[in-house]
Amino acid sequence: MDDGRVQSVLTKGLSGTGTGPDSMGAEVSRSQLTAALARVAGGDRAALQIVYEDTSAKLFGVCLRILSDRSEAEDVLQEVYLTVWRKASGFDPARASPITWLVAIARNRAIDRLRSAAGCRRLEPIDTAEEVRDPAPAALDLVEASQEASRLGMCLEQLEPRQAVAIRAAFMDGNTYEELAERMSVPLGTMKSWIRRGLLKLRDCLET
Amino acid sequence: MTDDGTITPAESGKLTAAEYVLGVLSAAERRQAEQRMAHDQTFANEIAFWEQRLGTMADAIAPVAPPDKAWQRIARAVGRRNPGAAGESLWQSLVFWRSFAIGSALLAVASIGALTFIEISPPGRAPLYATLGAGGGQPNFVAAVNATGTSMLVVPAALLSADQRAMQLWLIPAGDKPHSLGLIDPTRPVRVDVPPDLAGRFTQDAALAVSIEPPGGSPTGQPTGPVVANGKLTSL
Repeated sequence: MDDGRVQSVLTKGLSGTGTGPDSMGAEVSRSQLTAALARVAGGDRAALQIVYEDTSAKLFGVCLRILSDRSEAEDVLQEVYLTVWRKASGFDPARASPITWLVAIARNRAIDRLRSAAGCRRLEPIDTAEEVRDPAPAALDLVEASQEASRLGMCLEQLEPRQAVAIRAAFMDGNTYEELAERMSVPLGTMKSWIRRGLLKLRDCLET
Repeated sequence: MTDDGTITPAESGKLTAAEYVLGVLSAAERRQAEQRMAHDQTFANEIAFWEQRLGTMADAIAPVAPPDKAWQRIARAVGRRNPGAAGESLWQSLVFWRSFAIGSALLAVASIGALTFIEISPPGRAPLYATLGAGGGQPNFVAAVNATGTSMLVVPAALLSADQRAMQLWLIPAGDKPHSLGLIDPTRPVRVDVPPDLAGRFTQDAALAVSIEPPGGSPTGQPTGPVVANGKLTSL
């Protein structure tokens, strides 16, 4: 795949909700969030509100993407910020960026909610060929992407396209192996093998 | 992987962290992974590795403004809990005795100490002070910065038990990460000489915070333990 295609797979939603480059990085500096989280750890409610105002739209987007239901996503958003309130002292700025830490909490809560309400979800089919062929230019995305994001993009590019598409769909939508197999119309074993081999290759690439 | 692409058992074990972060595991498998994370540091590090790397895919998810009532629900839920949650209870465990009257008297002594310190500062820029508390209520320290921003006095405003752990003072300029101002003694007033590169960073939009750290102070240069007191700088 050439750069444009891969980047498009990486930045465009698989079920057609493609978005422009993320503006969070520009709007909220990492250090401001780190400082606010330090204050939340000390029990400062005003600081929690600062964290909420800076990040709730991003985290609500993440929850909504996984849950596809506004009312469920709102419930989970509340759980997310109550977790932040209780566990802010566990945030280690030397180990993770604040937004990464927050997104991980939001994804985990949303995925847990999704698993607890299994069976009531409509699965959108994924057409690998179509996703991969999307020619939308993404130069701006490349420029604005963090070093970490560009690195991941480069490493995903080295996988087979179907592996990259499956890994991305899993992350974005919080699907299980079974759900992904159904969406991409392949046997469960094939899906597991695609993703697991893809992750091992990804690990090697990200480490070097 | 072996030459024919089969995944070995060792690789399979290592993959669990990646699968957890990716989100493909079942509810039961997720609980297993979380339990393992709590006692297996290597596994926890592997999770952190994947969260940092794969997490960047979320950059592509469009922000969606939640309804206003979402914050109100959170604020109410937080208000119902013990104010200050972890920070406050930890602080309470350090305070071995503090009645309202004694607390107020100590605060007065602390403030007088701070004012005396400011009084001897040369005239010029207004000196700054901060009361450092945990989630409202009585402050635990009063800090005063001299007018030139080169020196400060940190006075405890609560009676504290002697504790093996260290308390570290941080300056948090607006829009910046915390900068260490060194260790402080929770049992007596401490004069802190401000590092020259931070002298100009004491402004009204900056804050001070105190965190609990291992003996000798934070090994990373950033707060690693819970913040037990914090407050904004205010002009006198």
